[in-house]
Amino acid sequence: MKTVFIDCSPKKRLSASGFIAGFTAAFVAGKKKKEKLRTKADYGRVLEAVKDADSVVFSMPLYVDGVPSHVLPFLREMELYCKESNPALNVYVIANNGFIEGRQNEPLMQVMENFCARSGISWRGGLGIGGGVMMNVMRIMLTVFFGLAILNTILAVVREGSFQAGPLLGFGKQALEVLFFGCGIVAFDLWLAFCINRQKPFGKRYTRVMLPSFVFILFADIFFVIASFFQGGMFRGWLAKKKPAD
Amino acid sequence: MRILIHDRNEEFGQALKEKYDRIIRADGKYAPCQGCFHCWTKHPAACGMKDSLHEICRVIGQADDLVIVTENWYGGYSPAVKNILDRSIGTSTPMSTYRAGEMHHTLRYGRHSSWSVLVYGETAENEKKTWKLLAEKNAINDGFRSSEVSFIPDTEELEARAQ
Ligand SMILES: Cc1cc2nc3c(=O)[nH]c(=O)nc-3n(C[C@H](O)[C@H](O)[C@H](O)COP(=O)(O)O)c2cc1C
Repeated sequence: MKTVFIDCSPKKRLSASGFIAGFTAAFVAGKKKKEKLRTKADYGRVLEAVKDADSVVFSMPLYVDGVPSHVLPFLREMELYCKESNPALNVYVIANNGFIEGRQNEPLMQVMENFCARSGISWRGGLGIGGGVMMNVMRIMLTVFFGLAILNTILAVVREGSFQAGPLLGFGKQALEVLFFGCGIVAFDLWLAFCINRQKPFGKRYTRVMLPSFVFILFADIFFVIASFFQGGMFRGWLAKKKPAD
Repeated sequence: MRILIHDRNEEFGQALKEKYDRIIRADGKYAPCQGCFHCWTKHPAACGMKDSLHEICRVIGQADDLVIVTENWYGGYSPAVKNILDRSIGTSTPMSTYRAGEMHHTLRYGRHSSWSVLVYGETAENEKKTWKLLAEKNAINDGFRSSEVSFIPDTEELEARAQ
């Protein structure tokens, strides 16, 4: 069994789509290939990888209620290939969006389902994840915290000549907190991986970061205030009704 | 203001020139969004990529009525049109609010009036269903009061319908 995971985010590094694709892949058995689909230059390579696959997992961000524009011409190329060669392909989709409601991925899921219908390949369902940016921030922070905990543990050994459990225990607590907010994502994703392993339908499911939306909105606002402060947008007519040049 | 976005040829736009305050031709000669959010956080309502879509959100933001003429791609916009929409999130601000009971961004240019889509090219029943949902969601997301989708199988009729 071969499964191809396609990270459809245009970001070079640290995309939420790439993370969740990798996380899912960790629980899928058999031959696995992870591909990035960022520009037209990737189309040929990704299509080659799809050709001898049993299942394809598209992992993508939601852009303006739909599939990001750079992915669409690839879908058309894949459709043409599928019509010509009739491969027995299972298609799964993982979509993540910035807003908290995972359900906002529904139009994207339908577009992907329609793509499968036109291509004559098997739509096996999709998982829509709300709060994708926050999920991504949490997993990046968790990696940083882990690094710090290891560093502090080593420093303690060097300085005091004894092992201290404090930093690692602290990290354990942080990991549990992240797991709490991410429990829906982890649970649904494991279920998806289970279905991919058996090449079974998953259906269309939606989950989110486990926070009430008003708290999430507060965090999102703080996030963009900080980003806009450091990148300077806040001082360049941040919320102004900017006029076009002509 | 009445704005048209279309993925037809130059003449199509020319013929409709009198009917719109602004016509944006989706010719595909521009780069896709890179997902950096700099149009919110670094240089508001402008993109770091200096092609024809550099400040397109400042134009689309002025629309009261937006009309989009697009080929059907799986129940969604053609890549050239979708590219313009993806590059236009500067019509919103990075701050969030509730609209229609869901989380959305606040609007840089305030509320707009109507979001109409004229879809051409063969469109299956399931795709028509998707289109209705998509236009409705786009209208909410971008702060338009109403949405409408029409399916025009005969491209000869497009010009008359886009009047
Ligand atoms: C151009 C653009 C449009 C977006 N449109 C939406 C949207 O309509 N709804 C939403 O919830 N998030 C939207 N987002 C947020 C992304 O879905 C979110 O940032 C996602 O986590 C990015 O995933 P990635 O890191 O894999 O690229 C948009 C982001 C960009 C850059």
